Amino acid sequence: MIEFELNGTPVAFHGASDTPLLWAIRDHFRLKGSKFGCGAGLCGACTMHLDDVAVRTCVLPVASVAGKRVTTIEGLTDNHELHPLQQAWVDHNVPQCGYCQSGQIMSAAALLSTTPNPSVADINNALAGNICRCGCYPRIKEAILSVAALTVTDETRAELAYDATAEAPSS
Amino acid sequence: MTVRNVSRRGFLQMGAATGGGLIIGLTLPGCSFSGALPINRDAGAFIPHAFLQITPDNAITFYCPSDEMGQGIRTGLATIIGEELDVHPHNMTVTSAGSHKDYANPEFGIQLTGGSNAIRAFWGPLRQTGANTRALLLEAAALDLGVPASQLATDNGHVVTDGQRLPYGDFVSTAAGMAMPKQSALKANTAFKYIGSEFTRVDALAKSTGTAQFGIDADIPDMVFAVVARAPVAGARVSAVDSDAALAMPGVRHIVPISSGIAVVADAYWQAKKAADALVIRWEDKPLKRVNSAQVRKDLDTALERGEDLEASSQGDVDVGFDVADSIVEADYFAPFLAHAPLEPVNATLHIRGDTADLWTGVQSIQGAQGLVERITGLPRGNIRVHNMYLGGGFGRRATLTHIVEVTEIAMAVNEPVQLLWSREDDIRHGVYRPASLMRLKAGVSNDGRVIAWQAQRSGGNITTDTLTTMLPAMLPNLPNALINGLSGLAKYVFSQWTVDPSSVEGLHETYDFDNYRVSHATVDHGLPLTFWRSVGHSYTAFAVESMMDELADRAGMNPLTFRLANTRNRPRMHGVLARAKRATDEMVVAEGHHLGIAAHNSFHTDVVEIAEVSVESGDIRVHKVTCVADVGTAVNPDIVRAQLEGAVMFGLTAALYGRIDLKNGEVQQSNFHDYPILRMDQAPAVDVILVNSGGDPTGIGEPGVPPLAPAIANAVFRATGQRLRELPLTLA
Repeated sequence: MIEFELNGTPVAFHGASDTPLLWAIRDHFRLKGSKFGCGAGLCGACTMHLDDVAVRTCVLPVASVAGKRVTTIEGLTDNHELHPLQQAWVDHNVPQCGYCQSGQIMSAAALLSTTPNPSVADINNALAGNICRCGCYPRIKEAILSVAALTVTDETRAELAYDATAEAPSS
Repeated sequence: MTVRNVSRRGFLQMGAATGGGLIIGLTLPGCSFSGALPINRDAGAFIPHAFLQITPDNAITFYCPSDEMGQGIRTGLATIIGEELDVHPHNMTVTSAGSHKDYANPEFGIQLTGGSNAIRAFWGPLRQTGANTRALLLEAAALDLGVPASQLATDNGHVVTDGQRLPYGDFVSTAAGMAMPKQSALKANTAFKYIGSEFTRVDALAKSTGTAQFGIDADIPDMVFAVVARAPVAGARVSAVDSDAALAMPGVRHIVPISSGIAVVADAYWQAKKAADALVIRWEDKPLKRVNSAQVRKDLDTALERGEDLEASSQGDVDVGFDVADSIVEADYFAPFLAHAPLEPVNATLHIRGDTADLWTGVQSIQGAQGLVERITGLPRGNIRVHNMYLGGGFGRRATLTHIVEVTEIAMAVNEPVQLLWSREDDIRHGVYRPASLMRLKAGVSNDGRVIAWQAQRSGGNITTDTLTTMLPAMLPNLPNALINGLSGLAKYVFSQWTVDPSSVEGLHETYDFDNYRVSHATVDHGLPLTFWRSVGHSYTAFAVESMMDELADRAGMNPLTFRLANTRNRPRMHGVLARAKRATDEMVVAEGHHLGIAAHNSFHTDVVEIAEVSVESGDIRVHKVTCVADVGTAVNPDIVRAQLEGAVMFGLTAALYGRIDLKNGEVQQSNFHDYPILRMDQAPAVDVILVNSGGDPTGIGEPGVPPLAPAIANAVFRATGQRLRELPLTLA
């Protein structure tokens, strides 16, 4: 049995310990937002957060997440609110077929959590592992930059209110 | 339905109508199911026809007849019907229609999404349907309110009278008892409220939250998971199998021999996958097993050397043209086999219960999927429900339905709901491919920049015959296998010995005013299964034609855009796009060390010019920016049109820089994204789209952005290095 935290809830997985995390999440926990694209860690469609870091879960044995926090697209925000990136994705009409977008958004969210105001090179590096076969890259980039711009505004506002920690942006 | 009654001229005309040859043999009487509409009626709802449901509380559902694979068709068609119905697409629920003849694509005659034709083909019919329905609702409102219909107006799902806004839903019970008007007046284009405006796609939110349901997401209680071990050489059957080790593995429930290989069925996908890898299978020998990529290239060359090509089309006198030309250029161009690699590998989930069946999948023809389940199970078509999910990419791949055959054979054997999923390796090694193509071009040009003789020969496999072989059983479920085999064989004979498959040569001359031209074709079939690949024949013919046009412009000493302008005087739409592209390049500030390459191409009724800004650094081709100038007549949603061109640039660039499927002993050598790379974000150029829409009915946009991309890059590489790269993928010497 492997115990870990899934989107804030403690869970236990009883299947084979070499099962890739992706299949434990999709087939056992029935969360279908994370996708299968290559099974080899090459396309990023399966990207989740493991203790807030973006990981490719199609090659990550579920045993290796014991005791850790796993976040999927379903748990990216509380109470089904839209993450600023998700709002930006809609506003920029980013998705085409949409299959890769959960992974793209999870990679982008992990980037913004450590680098709230990324350069284009930062974005290229952080998302180079996520293939979009439809070629939405220019819009993905624009959407991330638009959220980064918001983040700066929020920070500035928070500083002006002399309470930067309480108003720290969630992304 | 027989091919022998169709004249050769008929073949060519039909092919020209579809941008490919698919329609041939498929527009057949009686091949579409007719019966109750596959719509679950809500309480008190009004279903005036196959496309709409309006409930008393004014919930409006549009049943979209085309498959959403990213091209934005659900938004586009909702906009077209919504314009005349007067309902904003955001105020409707847009859902995929089930399989029914009323959803047949008006141009194909069957329910099929492809050929960049859905907006164009449904433009008239859906506007008329929307207008008729609005007129009916107004008549019902007039009756209910006791006011003449002429004093009523509509606004976004409401009837407006005396400043009151009354929902359409108020009038549906009255409307249900009235006859539908047939030819209600359509809006003038100048009165459009939704067409031509930009708003978010109807599927943007679901696709940004992980809630959009793709085929792979079908989740049926107690379903089991299937993985199939397939032949390394396409089409080979199993000679012997040792499944003992696989059967003993955890979770494995069944090992099932099926027509394409051996299926392993387990409690979880991962268990089925591991067990399938443990099967030991011996496969029968096939002629394809003796085919290598180098041999393919050689065979294509030999066919042209031996003069095996048949004339496809011609005009004027090419020989005289060459006699009077000031200079003549000859060159060979080559394009390899390609896989589609949609990010969602093909999959299907089937639940057969007694005499009914439910199929969940995302394909480009749910009518075909339904037909295959009917053919294999023998169930009445009306008992087979197809739930068409979002497609995780199509690009032509999901018009081939072998996975539907597989899942049906498996479900028949195991008697449980079963989900079949192909791995990425399955997708790349066992797929259907864009044919490898050799194009031999010879062109004569005058000193004043007119192409006065044009000869284009192509050799390679034909898409239409392979597609017929896979589509006929799906579209004609009751036709016996022997007859289907006979028809397929006849089609292969016709298209190799008698006439030319239009999709094999499309794009070899149509963009320009060539007064004297001859296009010919030699069929070389190696047995690798072939199919449509985004932009079909244009995906390779444009590379040859536009590379040659660049060479000719150089020979004439002319700017490449001026040269193309001089050869499109009788093609006003393309001429206008070229003129706009010329203005764009004249205004461009090109960075030091960067070079421009341009290419133009007409496909799917749309004219596109692409301008690539490229540098060559340390032996690498770097594409910085691509400017697309396009005329689609009328853009239903200009932002989605732009997105399709942006995506087409990335799709085309993947093929131009990386794309190749190689054969060794008949086996596909590539297997996953490490050796079949897809363009990534750090390589993605900026894309600037300029729409010069000249009005009139909308034309295709899913595919036309792909063909000019590779030659635009190749032509820029020539400016940068002096090297003419005439083979794809582009590789510097």
